Amino acid sequence: MKPARLAVPALFALAVFMVALPFGLKLHQQDFMISLLVWVLVVSSYRLMALTGEYSLVHVVLMGAGAYSSALLAKLAGFSVWLAMPCGALVAAGLAAVLSFPLFRMSGFYFLIGSFAAGEAIRLSWTYFTVPFGGPKGIKLIPSPELTLPGLGPIAFYEPIPYYYLTLIVVGISLFVLYRLENSRVGLTMNAIHWRAPLAESVGVDTWRYRALAFVIASFFAGLAGALFCHYYGTANPVQFDVAAMVYVLIWVIVGGVSRFSGPIVGVVVLSVLNELFREAEQWRPLIYGCILIAVMLYLPDGLIGLPARIRDWIEARRGVAALPAGAEEPADFSSSKRH
Amino acid sequence: MEIILQTCVNALVASAFFALMAVGLVLIFGVMGIINFAHGELYMVGAYLVWYFYSSQGWPFLVAVLVASLIVTVIGLLMERTLFRPMRDNPLGGLINSIGLLFILQVLAVQVGGVGLMKNVPPAYRGSLDLLPGVAIGNQRLVALVIAAALLVCVWYFLTRTKVGWALRAVAQDRDAAALQGINIDRISMLAMGLGAGMAGMAGALIAPLARVEPYMGHGVIITAFIVTIVGGIGSLSGAVLAAVLYAFFHTFVTTYWNGTIATMMGLLIMLVVLIVKPTGIMGTRVSE
Amino acid sequence: MGITRRDLLTATAGTAVLGSSVIPRIAFGETKTLKIGFLAPLTGEVSAWGLPGLYGCEVLVKNINAAGGVKIGDDTYTLELASFDDEYLPDKALQGFKKLVSEEGAKFVMMLGGDPWPGVQRFANQSKMLATTLLPSDLSPDTPYLLAPCEVHPIYNVTGVEYLARTFPDAKRAVICAQNDSLGIPSVATYEAAFEAAGIEVVDVNIFDPATTDFAPLVTSLLAKKPDIFCYDTAYADFVNLIAQQLHVQGYKGLQISCTCDNYPQIVEKTSKEFMEGFIFQFPDFDDPKLNEPFINFPEPNKFFADYNAAHPGTWTAVSWEYPSIIVQWIAGAKLAGSIEPMQVLEAMKSKPSWPHIFGEAEWWGQDLWGINNALVGKWPVVVIRDGKAVIAEYGDIPAWWAKNKDLMIKHMRNRKQMWDQRA
Repeated sequence: MKPARLAVPALFALAVFMVALPFGLKLHQQDFMISLLVWVLVVSSYRLMALTGEYSLVHVVLMGAGAYSSALLAKLAGFSVWLAMPCGALVAAGLAAVLSFPLFRMSGFYFLIGSFAAGEAIRLSWTYFTVPFGGPKGIKLIPSPELTLPGLGPIAFYEPIPYYYLTLIVVGISLFVLYRLENSRVGLTMNAIHWRAPLAESVGVDTWRYRALAFVIASFFAGLAGALFCHYYGTANPVQFDVAAMVYVLIWVIVGGVSRFSGPIVGVVVLSVLNELFREAEQWRPLIYGCILIAVMLYLPDGLIGLPARIRDWIEARRGVAALPAGAEEPADFSSSKRH
Repeated sequence: MEIILQTCVNALVASAFFALMAVGLVLIFGVMGIINFAHGELYMVGAYLVWYFYSSQGWPFLVAVLVASLIVTVIGLLMERTLFRPMRDNPLGGLINSIGLLFILQVLAVQVGGVGLMKNVPPAYRGSLDLLPGVAIGNQRLVALVIAAALLVCVWYFLTRTKVGWALRAVAQDRDAAALQGINIDRISMLAMGLGAGMAGMAGALIAPLARVEPYMGHGVIITAFIVTIVGGIGSLSGAVLAAVLYAFFHTFVTTYWNGTIATMMGLLIMLVVLIVKPTGIMGTRVSE
Repeated sequence: MGITRRDLLTATAGTAVLGSSVIPRIAFGETKTLKIGFLAPLTGEVSAWGLPGLYGCEVLVKNINAAGGVKIGDDTYTLELASFDDEYLPDKALQGFKKLVSEEGAKFVMMLGGDPWPGVQRFANQSKMLATTLLPSDLSPDTPYLLAPCEVHPIYNVTGVEYLARTFPDAKRAVICAQNDSLGIPSVATYEAAFEAAGIEVVDVNIFDPATTDFAPLVTSLLAKKPDIFCYDTAYADFVNLIAQQLHVQGYKGLQISCTCDNYPQIVEKTSKEFMEGFIFQFPDFDDPKLNEPFINFPEPNKFFADYNAAHPGTWTAVSWEYPSIIVQWIAGAKLAGSIEPMQVLEAMKSKPSWPHIFGEAEWWGQDLWGINNALVGKWPVVVIRDGKAVIAEYGDIPAWWAKNKDLMIKHMRNRKQMWDQRA
């Protein structure tokens, strides 16, 4: 929708803003930004899955699989953290590849619940097997990456600002890859599977393979996000990757709006920042959160990214211009995606 | 031998509650296509209302249970009207709305009853019935079992032997075809939601003296209910009941003879296997989407 | 001893008499605000371990401030709590810790500990911030600034077993049930050691999932072993409640021992006085007259209990007094140091071989189990239910037990993989 010419300077401005940001933040907000960037990667990779029309509940568990494997490789096998992190992501992708055989025999609601069962079974095994997963307490004292730059000396990656930049670079590159992928032939085929599965099959597209491919790639980035997370906070435990965390990812993706690449990112950023703003409300915080979710779904069925269009409609209606009926431009159906 | 019989008694009680929850979920999903994530919280509200009416206000237990499940039914009707009806073509929106409500109900429970220890709901029926030497069932459990079973039979009768029940099943099978037959979808949706919520409220109300009444008690229940729903087949009510009984016996026996975590893990794996082998569940006939 | 009970009381008492001796000074000295960090789960399922503690601290702080605050060094301070909800997640805990320390200016941070602690550990060390935990299994040689000054779970459970073995010498077969988490497992090792030391055989251990809702199968399985003693381990109070009901229904008549039994009046109501008679556990009611013994270091426990129940009825648990008792100890440390700076307070507290714990003088301990002497161990009450009311039967002596049975405990801890050098 936006002219491509505007996109480049806008992205550049965003990049400058993100680079300068940590210096304008308080100490604990820098940590918040690291977590936020990690979750941005999680929701964006989730969207790749959602493109094929399948919603899974195993994504956060696979993020955990990335964290656990990366942590164990670095702690027990003596891998360098730089190597352990991509290996963790590969383990998550491998696990997804194995899971794709049973899971993609199902679709829709069955896939949703099937993926949940698979995820819970994996997560419970972390709780049950103390060796090597550490049982309910999980893994502690996970090392942070080490890097010595000539002339600068060792970089303290356990400090928030250096790790923020590391996360920013990794997440930035990952988002670029995901975006390109979505707009490549493969990505367009994935989307076609969602809308015209029988048609796609009739022209020789192996829908199973594309669904599985989207699942594996999405899981790779989820695993990478998990690895990024655990090497900063130094710990991984089963509670961090439980169904409550998965529910939040689902909320961010859907409330943000799944029809555009930016939707889930808007969702996680807006809702997380709002959640921090309501910290003073203490025990009332989840209630406020719940009200926001319902309000967004009722009034912006296309998600938060539908807001500008809504405002435009409203202004035009006020001006007396014959406006489209509400919701006509952005159809209420979550699935009728309209991408640029 | 006593252990086996005692375990059977334990499993029977568990089955009735799994079934009450699962049948409600199936009804709601079947008719509206929405996964009600807040189903466990309706159960929690049922338990809290019994705590309030029976323990705090001193009402007779059965009256408190009845009133509690009626109030939860009304909550269900309001949910249908405000949260689910606008989302009829947007199942994920309905899911998010139910999650939003889940947060709200949990916070309200914290505000009403605080956190810390579970709410005190003393048993209304004390003592236990010795079925055999070494095999006992608490009277409170017995009453809960009888009422739950009776309610299930009533629901079954209503759905299979009445005209409205037939219409409800028709909508669950094919909404558009049912609408063409002149069935009022709005009213059937409200009926399904009210019935489903009422059963969840009744389950929570009956279990209040036996379970941990606290704001987050719905969490564990919903997961079990999902497993049962899937194993039974999403479109099938008798499947849900059968699966509830099978799952309860399986889980109870593995827990007694081995370990509860293993039981849950194996339950999830069995569900996966069922999904792979027969994606429509053991009794299901409806093809997804 | 640099600290006496009198110092503590002047610091913390809520009475008008003691208060009046403090208030006039404020007119001359400068009153400053002292921030105490409170970092625990306040929403979600683990909030039961945080919120009642915050309530307790609010009651204590209110009483202290009403009595004129606290005099440390030359200044008089009014106390203020700064709380942050860590949602029992390590990342939120780190954010909260940084906020409390660097923005709120908290001088020490009370935490629940457990899963969130590893997220905080590195920053706590770096910033040299004094922190406290209720779960001593967080302690290790890498946690020099983390103290477990109140609750040294599960080591005090040995006192209950010792009392039981002495009072009921004929009981020889015990079964243990425990939830599978960081409270349950080390506690199993402790009970195994204590039973072995007392010559009691443990015939079955059942470790259950904390998500368990129906305890009938577990009870059936354990009763099949025909125990004389049913040990609840450190089951959450609500689990004790549900398990006890099942034991009652399934006809158990033997002895019962548990770490906690916070809501025993409910259990008595749901079962019977006879069933609960002689139930042994470790957490006294705060209206117990035996808490007014001279060696108890807590300002007016009975009044605190009454104030708390007036402010937050129905929410009292063990954590309701545990966090406040840590504030009392910190104040004693700050008074001794004459400073509120974290490292000076820590140094003052650790400078004494013994330190006033809530249940009397205690020693800094833990080297053998956690590799660091940062836990405070001394006497701990053994509480017994008599005629439906919990009473303190005696104060058990943990160091004396330890001196005799140290090797047993280490054996069982190692067996359950709970030694600090065995953690993943």
